[in-house]
Amino acid sequence: MRTLIGVTVLLFAQPVFAQDMPLTQVLIEKEPWQLVGEGFRFVESPASDKEGNIYFSDVPDSKIYKITPQGSLSLFARETGETTGLMFGKDGKLYGCRHKERSIVAYNLDATFQVVADNVTAHDLVVTSDGGIYFSDPSHKRIGYLSPQRSVAVVAKNLHPNGITLWHDGGTLVVTERDHPYLWTFRVEKDGRLSYREKYYLPLTLTSGSHLPGSDGMTMDRDGRLYVTSTAGLQMFDPTGRQGGVIVKPQQKHLSDIAFGGPQFNMMYVTCSDKVYRRKVKPQGIPFYGFSHDLSTNSK
Amino acid sequence: MYKTSRPCHSRTSYWVLWVVTCCVLLFTISYTTPAQAEEYHLGPDSMRHNDVPKGTVTRGIWRSQKIFPGTERDYWIYVPAQYQDSIPACLMIFQDGSSYVREDGDVRAPTVFDNLIHQGAMPVTIGVFLNPGVIPGSAPGKQPRKNRSFEYDTLSDQYARFLIEEVLVKLNKMYTLSDSPDHRAICGASSGGICAWTVAWERPDQFQKVVSHVGSFTNIRGGHVYPALIRKTERKPLRVFLQDGKNDLDNLHGSWPLANQQMAAALSFMKYDYRFVFGNGGHNYIHGGAIFPETLRWLWRDVRTPSK
Repeated sequence: MRTLIGVTVLLFAQPVFAQDMPLTQVLIEKEPWQLVGEGFRFVESPASDKEGNIYFSDVPDSKIYKITPQGSLSLFARETGETTGLMFGKDGKLYGCRHKERSIVAYNLDATFQVVADNVTAHDLVVTSDGGIYFSDPSHKRIGYLSPQRSVAVVAKNLHPNGITLWHDGGTLVVTERDHPYLWTFRVEKDGRLSYREKYYLPLTLTSGSHLPGSDGMTMDRDGRLYVTSTAGLQMFDPTGRQGGVIVKPQQKHLSDIAFGGPQFNMMYVTCSDKVYRRKVKPQGIPFYGFSHDLSTNSK
Repeated sequence: MYKTSRPCHSRTSYWVLWVVTCCVLLFTISYTTPAQAEEYHLGPDSMRHNDVPKGTVTRGIWRSQKIFPGTERDYWIYVPAQYQDSIPACLMIFQDGSSYVREDGDVRAPTVFDNLIHQGAMPVTIGVFLNPGVIPGSAPGKQPRKNRSFEYDTLSDQYARFLIEEVLVKLNKMYTLSDSPDHRAICGASSGGICAWTVAWERPDQFQKVVSHVGSFTNIRGGHVYPALIRKTERKPLRVFLQDGKNDLDNLHGSWPLANQQMAAALSFMKYDYRFVFGNGGHNYIHGGAIFPETLRWLWRDVRTPSK
């Protein structure tokens, strides 16, 4: 029997070139977007903790909310200084950009916070596994880096950055520009500097008659797919930078950001203008960098 | 102790399993015959012959700092035995070079070059076989950025500029090459095939001969628009050889057989100097390799190396 199976397998052609990643590897039949929160002014920056709870910010209302995997919504923090760019660090703290106060802060789980960098204009951030932070600074058209020792450096210039994320090994940084149909990639050097900038993810799908993709927040799954929110929908790219498809957004309003949550981290959460949605998918994400990839401890 | 008695229904199940498996096998064989049991084989021009002078193949690592900064790639340079510094040679560049340069591969370009140059069926031609670039990780455990699709599938002049501003500059210091674009060919398979077309389409002043095997004229990065562009753009001075097969890919990026037929129809409509060979093959080098000697005869049919 084993021989027969072997012969059968050999009869099928072996692929010669790169593997494709179609949407069928991501979406589950009859698992559409579910509304999990509404009535907000403008929501952004979903972030998952290690239990799969999702935190997100209603930016103009200066509030941060929390949604449990069971769908229970609660207010986490108020008077947040129009916080954007939320993301958990390996230390269990929730990092964010207090836009109005020009600072980057670390929220404790009781909603108190410490300033980790001040006098910085930051819109979105990503926390590395060693506690460094890359942040987009669109007002100065640059990328900033806050080292684990808390020194700030400009690591990329001459771009209008918006969303920012890392590959799971932390070795490649990806940045969106909302007005250009590509995503920038950089190699992350050992000292935090960025090198070898390239329009690796290209082209983004545009809506009819528009030249502006409106690309915003991003996340990655464990297979290396990158997801970027945009006017045309949630665009998915494979690790070689090829677009694999566009997931239709849940409503015809601005799709601003995405994160994987839920106990198995296989629930996509998106912020879309005044509402938050989620959708169960086949791939899994990670809540933060340095997170153990062993899901068995988080699947209870 | 290990021998256990089987209940009767188990023996029946075993036979059912055999019958089902045989049916699956028969179906698989009949279904996949056109694609898998390729009827294409290498001919004598793809084999080594003792009386044919053998060119040299040298290997190196190309590190780009200008057009694809940070990339590294293996490359091979083939120099025919008949090459002389005093006579400008033609040039042919290959994408996914390791597949084309392999002595026991499906194409065996150096062997074919040796045979055809010896026969006088193609000019003295230096072959350059470039692999796609990779940006290595900055530390152990960091994934490299694989640049193949970015370099090959993107619709821009970037790969052409890499060849012109980096590769050709170095080659011209090493060898005496003809500077006529009519004496420069570029060849590739799959994404390397559309890349060959894009280089010539963007820079016909530098490359005018194209060979595409199972070319990806599909929507990997927008390449499906070429047939439409060809039909509405003044004809460029290109000679184009396309090969594809009816069992080539049909996936999220498009249908390779349909895309190649669209390319051929557009080239025909605009009266290009082109040839399209459409067979039964799949997404591989087998058919393209089997007809590679004839491809080169057609491609270089009116170019001969001048005698001293």
